[in-house]
Amino acid sequence: MQTSPEGSIRTTQIWKRFRADKRTRYLRDELGRLAERLTGQRDSDRWRWALQGIDFSVDPGSAVGLVGVNGSGKTTLLKIINQVMFPTIGRVETNGRIGALIAISAGIHPNLTGRENIMLTASFLGLSRKQAAARFDEIVAFSELEHAIDRQAKYYSMGMQGRLGFGVAAFLEPAILLVDEVLAVGDAAFQQRCLDRMRHVLSQGTTLVFVSHDLASVEATCSRTIWLSEGRVVDDGLTRDVLSAYRGSSETGGAIGVGRGGPVSIHRVAVQTPGLSSVQSNGTLEIELELESDAPYRAWVYLGVSEGTATPIFLVNPGRETLFESGRRTTIRCEIDQLPLPKGRFYLWAGVYARDRLGPELLPWQAAAQFDVYGPRLDEAPRAIVRLAPLQLTSSWTVEQSA
Amino acid sequence: MFKRALSSASVLVAENGNAVDGAESPQVVRAAPASVPVLSPPTELWFKRRIKLRQAFRDIWRFRELILSLAERDYRARYKQAVLGVAWAMLTPVLLVIVFTIVFTRVQRVETGGVPYVLFSYLGLIPWTFFSSSVTGGGQSIVTNMALVNKVACPREVFPLATIAITTLDSLISSAVLVILFGIEGFAPKPETLYAPLLLLVLLVYTLGVTLIVAAALVYLRDLRLVLPLVMQLGLFLTPIAYGIDVIARSRGMQLVYSFLDPVAPVVDSLRRTVLYGLAPDWQLVGMGTAGALLLLVGGYALFKRLEVGIADIA
Repeated sequence: MQTSPEGSIRTTQIWKRFRADKRTRYLRDELGRLAERLTGQRDSDRWRWALQGIDFSVDPGSAVGLVGVNGSGKTTLLKIINQVMFPTIGRVETNGRIGALIAISAGIHPNLTGRENIMLTASFLGLSRKQAAARFDEIVAFSELEHAIDRQAKYYSMGMQGRLGFGVAAFLEPAILLVDEVLAVGDAAFQQRCLDRMRHVLSQGTTLVFVSHDLASVEATCSRTIWLSEGRVVDDGLTRDVLSAYRGSSETGGAIGVGRGGPVSIHRVAVQTPGLSSVQSNGTLEIELELESDAPYRAWVYLGVSEGTATPIFLVNPGRETLFESGRRTTIRCEIDQLPLPKGRFYLWAGVYARDRLGPELLPWQAAAQFDVYGPRLDEAPRAIVRLAPLQLTSSWTVEQSA
Repeated sequence: MFKRALSSASVLVAENGNAVDGAESPQVVRAAPASVPVLSPPTELWFKRRIKLRQAFRDIWRFRELILSLAERDYRARYKQAVLGVAWAMLTPVLLVIVFTIVFTRVQRVETGGVPYVLFSYLGLIPWTFFSSSVTGGGQSIVTNMALVNKVACPREVFPLATIAITTLDSLISSAVLVILFGIEGFAPKPETLYAPLLLLVLLVYTLGVTLIVAAALVYLRDLRLVLPLVMQLGLFLTPIAYGIDVIARSRGMQLVYSFLDPVAPVVDSLRRTVLYGLAPDWQLVGMGTAGALLLLVGGYALFKRLEVGIADIA
């Protein structure tokens, strides 16, 4: 531990279990358990492993994203790194002061003013009053709380609490910064400033562990990402690779083409670039969709392409109603010229809506197929710039210099 | 739990399109870590709490500012709402001394050996109030600060320590009343009062021990909180506060055992001997009290550190 440099994190075989019936215990429960044990009955304890053998290390100054569905153990892992919680099995070694922002109102005391809260949080981080006072103005300016700093924190809105919390954690110069799903409460401008701040903190050599469901901001901040599922590391590697695998699993659930039933159902899907064995970036994308209908309908067909989530990168429709006849198959072909997608795995989503897009669903919005695009990798974005969609466009440039 | 991991690993995901085995709804299926074999925990790495005394002291020293900040926070939060302000601290002992004085000089006389009863009982009430409000407040400190305990890392003993810092201040404030009482009664404390700090140190050790035990136990057994005030009320009468130690334990042997079990008793007894009667402390009783207090502090600290590990889990 003495040899590891400031800002490093190392975990060895972290296992953590909780009681399956997680609730407050009372004296009478303990007496009951004692009686059980004395009478030789098996202890009624049931345990649930929340983390199972987490092994990783983070170099100082690097940024690591942590993704996973709810209940996969992200927050538990952060708490163990932060040493708020202790592992059941395994070891954690961290070096340097840890600034943690776990949940929004972390450590904000409702009866104290914003000013008092900043000072208190500073002393939790092991800073002296003098050190905290030196950064006080910066924190207040960042959180935009000049007008409210002497008001009690219980009168703060959720967003104000979030801003105060992030300001305190990010400005007290920790060696390791743990951020858990806090940007969600701020407005768009504040989120961008948080990302800027994280980038600044990173450039000063702070280690960042960032938990978020907003995958775009994970992508913008972290070069490496760890994907947790049911308390295990599923994948650990370059953010873009891990996230595309995660996206593919998280919302389509890997269950492509298994439609929830509707009056219209998908019979066959084909996605290809004509004349080629694979889909090419900037090539033509041809989609062939064979639909079956149990009754005659006039309906709108929508197709979308996403990285796995139900939110598509783009959406297309034929621009007019499609006629379905009962008991017959309807084949729909769609060609997209110059597909603006980079190399990667994408998903075709489809939905059919009666009358117009606001009408009742005939085919619920669902992943119909997955396809791999070959071509150039997505251009790297500067750090802390969140790209809304991974589009790869061809562009031509001229640069002129004048005296 | 391993069964579940197995079953989710056996879910097959078809490459391009159809058929997911055993899935009722697409949302239920997660990409199972199919390649990860079912593991069993490496029991040789089982987390053990080691208590290192030097490390513990260093931690507390490192967090001294935090202890003071917490104490300050609680103090501010308390007096922001209280009308009486600082006078609140004196209220408990002053009210009790009035009640005691009425009961034990009018209804049932207590033999004080020529010393004004007000002084006699007030000298017992200050240490007792310190002890009982430390245990009650400090004992609940971790439960009431659960929001913090759950989110920030620090040695957990800072919370009870912050409460004890406050009760210490409270006791100093209520000691001001003692000075006034001496003036009113025209009674001067004896020079042996110089022994007092030593006696108060024993009281502090004992209070720390009990507070740590109660603080950790309350996290795990929340209903103990309801019992706590009752125990404290009984304790007030089982400890020689309103009367002398000989009322409770007559024989010398009994007094020694009693002092070991309830170290507040010899402290109060010897405080009176020194301050009011000008005698030396009863070293035998104080010695037994010190032994009991130290034993409790060591055991209490060890227990606290052991239980500390699980506090965030059940919060």
